[in-house]
Amino acid sequence: MKTLPKVLGLLLAGYLVSACTPTVKIEPPDKPIVINLNVKIEHEIRIKVDKALDDLLTDTALF
Amino acid sequence: MKFRLITLFATLALSFAAFALDLQSAKDQGLVGEQTNGYLAALKSTADVTALVNDVNAKRTAAYQQIAQKNGISADDVAKLAAKKIIAKAEKGHMVQDSSGSWVKK
Repeated sequence: MKTLPKVLGLLLAGYLVSACTPTVKIEPPDKPIVINLNVKIEHEIRIKVDKALDDLLTDTALF
Repeated sequence: MKFRLITLFATLALSFAAFALDLQSAKDQGLVGEQTNGYLAALKSTADVTALVNDVNAKRTAAYQQIAQKNGISADDVAKLAAKKIIAKAEKGHMVQDSSGSWVKK
């Protein structure tokens, strides 16, 4: 007869533990992740060309 | 003293003769204008102006090509970027081409 409260206690503890366990779900995105690096490269080229042109434009025999 | 002055004027006259037409004075006189393609255009078709324009444009082509090659883009793109800068930088009174291609005095 002593076992019943023990079992009940265990069950209760089990419920409590399971209720407190945080669940973290990680779902993969349905779309593939695309990182477009072209933008950055084009931007860098543009800045470089910009600088080169600024230097070039100081030549008063040409501009 | 008088002799010195004469020598000075003579040298000045000679140096002017040596530089038939330079770019800055051609711009000031409105003989040449900046196009939207990054190159100079002759607005008066005299031998002096044509020679200057051809010379300047040949040197510009070389410079544009060098920049284009270094950055892996076309010389045309470089020239177009240059045009924007050149026209923006042009002094007041100089001739530049607007976006529709007509000549305007800045």
